[in-house]
Amino acid sequence: MPRLLTTYFGEIDFADASVFEFPHGLPGFETEHAFVFLRQPHTEPLMFMQSLGDPKLCFILLPILVADPQYRVNFDKEDIAALRLPPGRQPRIGEDILCAAILRAADDEQPEPTVNLMAPVVVNLKDKIGMQVIQADSGYSHRQPLFSRQETSPCS
Amino acid sequence: MLVMRRRAGESFMIGERIEIEVLEMTGSRVKLGIVAPEEYVIVRKEARITRDENLTAARKVDSKTIAALLHRLTS
Repeated sequence: MPRLLTTYFGEIDFADASVFEFPHGLPGFETEHAFVFLRQPHTEPLMFMQSLGDPKLCFILLPILVADPQYRVNFDKEDIAALRLPPGRQPRIGEDILCAAILRAADDEQPEPTVNLMAPVVVNLKDKIGMQVIQADSGYSHRQPLFSRQETSPCS
Repeated sequence: MLVMRRRAGESFMIGERIEIEVLEMTGSRVKLGIVAPEEYVIVRKEARITRDENLTAARKVDSKTIAALLHRLTS
């Protein structure tokens, strides 16, 4: 089984079948074409998207329906074709695709963590191909606060 | 902000070398044609915003941050 030394998780073993190809990378990381998704019981509900090309590059993700249980992702024809999904119908989260929001931790610029609901990461679970699908006119925020002011968890 | 009205088929210039033409309007959407020198990178604004968010998000991934997030998510 291939092994990868990562900055945050140390050495990880991964199956070839768990590698997802991102033909165009992600905006800002256009040359990163392969990622693995890491989920561990003790870090649920968070997921991690680790680059195979750069051990230092890792994103924290939250499954989109954890971030927003009402979330509706909308694909146009080009997205469906780029992800090699069956044409003619919207793909189903959890069956055809994995859909997750990139989480931005609190930093000097913003005191609270946010999730990018405007541009979820979507992968075709069957063909192992992924991209960030920009939901241009959806009204979803690229900086949706993760926690409401009452400190309630979005999963409760 | 400069505001100007244009019809389909009309265009406008930015400087000497950038031309933007309104090609078509359907419903609430406008199709634009852009002619610009190769050195200008043209991206949709949402893609630029997403790039900036991705670059920022990737900078702050460490065990302390993850532990703090998990504490709040699961408490």
